[in-house]
Order: sequence, then C-alpha cells, then structure tokens
Amino acid sequence: MLRYVLRRIVMLIAICFIISVGSFYLIHLLPGNITTVIEGPGASPENQAKLYKLLGLNKPIYQQYFVWIGNVLRGNLGTSFISQTSVASTIRAALPIDLEIMFLSQILAFATAIPIAMRSARKPDGWLDRTFSAGSFTLLSVPTFIVIVLMVLFISVKLGVPHTGPSSYVSFSQDWIGNLESLALPAVALAIGSFVVYYRVLRSDLIATLQEEFITMARSKGLSQRRIMWRHAFRPSSVALLGAAGVNIGGLLASGFVVQYLLNIPGLGYTLISAINMSDYLLVQGIVLVVSVGVVLINFIFDFIINIVDPRISRE
Amino acid sequence: MSFDNKKLLAVKDLATTFHTAGGDLPAVGGVSFDMESNQTIGIVGESGSGKTVLSRTIMGLQQRTNVTVTGSVLLSGFEMVGASEDEKRERWGTEVAMIFQDPMTSLNPVMKVGKQIDETLRVRLGMSKADAKARAIELLELVGIPSPQYRYDAYPGQLSGGMRQRVVIAISLACSPKLLLADEPTTGLDVTIQAQILNLLEELKERLEMSVILVTHDLGVVATRTSRIIVMYAGRIVEIGSTREVFAHHRMPYTRALLESSPKVSNASHTRLTTIPGRPPNLLKLTQGCSFAPRCSYATEKCHVDRPELEAADEPGHMFACWNPLPKTRRTVKK
Ligand SMILES: Nc1ncnc2c1ncn2[C@@H]1O[C@H](COP(=O)(O)OP(=O)(O)O)[C@@H](O)[C@H]1O
Ligand SMILES: [Mg+2]
Repeated sequence: MLRYVLRRIVMLIAICFIISVGSFYLIHLLPGNITTVIEGPGASPENQAKLYKLLGLNKPIYQQYFVWIGNVLRGNLGTSFISQTSVASTIRAALPIDLEIMFLSQILAFATAIPIAMRSARKPDGWLDRTFSAGSFTLLSVPTFIVIVLMVLFISVKLGVPHTGPSSYVSFSQDWIGNLESLALPAVALAIGSFVVYYRVLRSDLIATLQEEFITMARSKGLSQRRIMWRHAFRPSSVALLGAAGVNIGGLLASGFVVQYLLNIPGLGYTLISAINMSDYLLVQGIVLVVSVGVVLINFIFDFIINIVDPRISRE
Repeated sequence: MSFDNKKLLAVKDLATTFHTAGGDLPAVGGVSFDMESNQTIGIVGESGSGKTVLSRTIMGLQQRTNVTVTGSVLLSGFEMVGASEDEKRERWGTEVAMIFQDPMTSLNPVMKVGKQIDETLRVRLGMSKADAKARAIELLELVGIPSPQYRYDAYPGQLSGGMRQRVVIAISLACSPKLLLADEPTTGLDVTIQAQILNLLEELKERLEMSVILVTHDLGVVATRTSRIIVMYAGRIVEIGSTREVFAHHRMPYTRALLESSPKVSNASHTRLTTIPGRPPNLLKLTQGCSFAPRCSYATEKCHVDRPELEAADEPGHMFACWNPLPKTRRTVKK
C-alpha cells in the first residue's frame, strides 16, 4: 500500500510538472512580444523593462521556466494589466464558488444515485429499475447546458421562482441562504448529469456483485437483505463508481463553466471566459494552471479512496 | 408423522427445475431421504449430478426467479420449501449452515475475515462488539488458524485456499448450527490440506454435536467419515445405504464405476484417475429410461425405456435403482 501511494505521488509530481510546462509555454505560443502580450499594447517602456527582468526574458527559456515556477510556487501568478489586481487573488475569490457548486452537485448526485441504484439492483427489471434505467439512458444524451437552459426557462422564467435566474448570484458571506438559493439551479443541473453516470455504473456493478458466491454465503449466514446490500454488495461494487466520479470531475468543471457563464455566476469559469474575451493572458494562464492541477489532484484523491475501498487493487 | 417430525432432516420428493432458455432443466428430480441427529452422511456423484443444487435447495438458498422447487424439506419439523425469506433467515446459521465449494469466491474480498465472522455473531446472537471479536478469534483458533488475533485483520486475498476454507468453516460454525451442509469443502485444495480440513470437520462435528452432510464427487473422501452414503446421478438417488454396505455390496453399476474412478485420499497424486466412460446426460433431454443406461455395459432394452425406481436390497435402509443389478456377492474394489 505504502509503495503504491509513493509511486502515485511520484506520478502526480510528474504530471504537475508537465502541466506547469504547458501553462508556461501557453504564453510563449501567443504572437508578438511577450511583454506586450502580458502588459497590453499600451505598456510603458519602464514597465516593460521591469517585466523583462521579472520574467528573466534575457535568459534561455528553461531558465525562464525556473524563474516563473519559482514565483508560482510562492503563490505569485503575476498581476493582470487589465484589472491591475494580482491573478492569485482573483482566482482565490472565484475558486470557492466553483468548489461550492461542485460540492453541492456531487452531494446531490451521490445521495440520489446510490440508494436508487441499490433498489434497482435488488429487483432488476422491476418497475423502479425500468423507470430509472430508461430515464437515465435518455438523459445521458442531453448535455448539461441544455438542461440548465430548460431549467432556467421553466423554473425562473415560467414559474418565477426568485433568486434562480441569471445574474441573481449572492455571495456566501453576504447571505448564505440567498447564496444556496442562487446556486440551487446550477447544482441541480450538474447533479443530473452526474446522477445519470453514477446510477448506471453502480447499478450494473451491483447486479454483477449480487451474482457472486459470497453474497449467497452472506445470505446463508442469516443476514438481512439490507445488511447484505450495504455491507457486502455496496463496497465491492463501488470501485467503478469512484473511478467514474474521478473522471467525471473534469467534465463537471467544464459544464460548471458553461453554467456560470449562462447565469453570470462569478466563478472561475466565468472569470476565464471574460479573461479570454479581454485578452487577459496572465489570468488565463493562472486559471488553466490551477484548474488542471486541481483536476489531477482530485483524480489522485479518488484513486486513493478506491484503494482503501478495495484493498485488492494495490496488492496486485 | 410425529416420528418424522423429530427427525433432524426429512427430504421428500424434492425436485428443483431451472427454467432455462433451452427448456426446463430438472437438476434435482425427486429426491427422498432422511437423517437423524449426530450423523454424518455423504452425497456422492460425478460433477453435474445435482449435488450442489440439492444442497442449496435443502438450505432454501435458491433464487426465486426461473426456478421451481417442489416436494418437502422438513428441518427439525419446519417446512423449508415455500417458506418466506424471513422464516428461512431465522434458521440459517443457527439450524442449518453451509460450506461452499470454492473458498476463493465464497468470502467477501473487501471485508476483513474477522469482521465476516463477528458480524454473524452480532447480528444473529446479539453479541456486543467486544464479545463478538473475542469469540471470532476463538473460532479462528478452533478451526486451526495460527495466530488468530493477527489473522482477524487479514483480507481473504492474504490467505491461502486452505486458510480461507478454514475461515468459511469458522463462519458456518459461528452460531452452532445443528446441521452443516459441506458442499465439496476440499475440492479446490491440495491433497494434504484436503485431509486436514476433512479431519477438522470430523473433529468439530464430534465436539459440537452437529450433523454433517458431506457432499463430494470422491468416494474416497466419504469412505471413513460417513455412516451413510447417497449416490446421485442426473439429479436422482440411484443408490443409498450404510457406508459399509454401499462399499461392500453396492448393486448399481454406476456406484461401482464411481468407486473405481475415485482416487484414494492417501495416495491421490500417484493414482491414475480412471474416469467413467461416456458423459453425464444432458438434463434438458432426459429419456424415459434409466439415465445411466447409455453408459452402462449391463444395460438392456428395458433400461432405455423404463426408469427403475429405488428398491430395497438385503440390508434394511440399502436401496438401489437398477433393472440389472450387480450380483449380491461381497466385493472389494480394485484400486
Ligand atoms: N442456476 C442454474 N441454472 C440452470 N442450470 C443449473 C443452475 N445451477 C445448476 N444447474 C445445472 O444443474 C445440474 C447440476 O449441477 P450441480 O448441482 O452444480 O452439480 P454438482 O454439484 O453435482 O457438480 C448441472 O447440469 C447444471 O448445469
Ligand atoms: Mg457442485
């Protein structure tokens, strides 16, 4: 187990290194003088000179990378020439919104997918199983942004439920109830997409697990149906579920970005899109870096949980 | 009937039919026998003869879909056939327990073996967490697992096949069942471990005053360990009697073929296994006749069209189903 974790950590560091090189190089891919790219066309010569020195632009490119990564590791992602604020503080303000939306949507998705998949698997082809299998199959092909548009149309426009429409975002520190209300639609919309995946993966693994001999053995011990489902069938069936959840995070972030854009929620996605529109390349670079490392980290954590859930994996 | 009710187990006309895509498959086709307390009986037959289905049907473990069970299984007077899952659950573990054929698949791979023992103690006997753990360690010790405190925290994947089967036995003994159904408890294990496990079962049976049904395809396994033997073929009993009688005076040609094909436990690795020529019948296409007839050198016209019923042999309790039985002389089996 320990060796497995160490191997994973080495891999994690390697991947983060590749990501950082990619994000670093992103800026160099843009046409024109880097100082103009970063500070905008109207930058003063002395500012340009300052930046030149800061980035070590007179040095070879690999040294420039080390100068840059040194700054990044100290939390300095540069200062945007457009807003004149530090990229790191802009990201720090926006990131919690993304995390909150993700957290809420995942809680909702797991809290519904797990019990429903359990009931489905207990009676495959029963009415509940048929309903959700067919329903989830249909939803599988509907992109999240369609779901959110339909929800906005129906819930905030047609039904007129307050605090749910575009531009109704309230921050958590201002009013936490209002904050939850304003994030309810995006959380539910993202949860639907996750639910569909989690439900299907868990259901089919549960059905396979329930055929196993050790389940018959558990029955023969005189354990209740409920206990057999939760204590014996669930854990060995949840490996693919956790794997799907880890993989799902990337897609979830992307859907979250679209939803933020549609509803004017000032999370990372919204910030990224406006940064692109305003050619705020340092901010784009910072967000790309943070998001990529975040996705990799989350995958790493899921991987770790899978190993705790199923000790057979790391033993191989 | 009141006499029957005192029996530990009374099986009557028990039949299990699977409804498969290819048609109805009578895996067990009308089996009757009974059993007193503190006995060990053996059920033998080639693989595919319906031993596992019979034991599971006796337990009442068959899934509800695509299977029909008829007849009767009286377990200490309680009818298991048609009983609800709740009623059966009350008896599982305490009245009757089962050891499954393959210790590699019958333990939960992601649960510590100790937990798999003590959950039974906690759920069924209402023990406290600490008591259950202590008792689970005792049970691990009872089944001969070295350093049980340490093994308590092992996952099944960290144990050898023999150790796993010991754990399975510990689980099945946890609630002191009156009847233990052991379905080929040693088939997947190597020969020395086989003998150890069988001896352990025998010893535990004496110590805990259980009754045991020992299911095997190997007559060598049951020779010294059982008082009675049931020989099965194609889902039916073809010969039944005291172990001594079945070995010395068997009348059914299939029993002889089985005896000649079984390796001795003591020298299994050196003995060439002679298999019975031909194959077991396709249960989807059973004929009206004796199902062994196509493979039997004594078979006559009658055997192919008319199925023999069990009839009494000389010794009380010894019965066989054959139109052309072997002569009544005492015989020794060539090895
Ligand atoms: N669930 C099932 N569905 C259909 N056929 C089955 C099922 N279980 C067992 N059988 C059939 O029943 C017959 C007896 O099998 P089994 O009891 O496992 O034999 P044994 O234990 O003596 O080797 C076999 O022909 C097998 O294919
Ligand atoms: Mg079998």
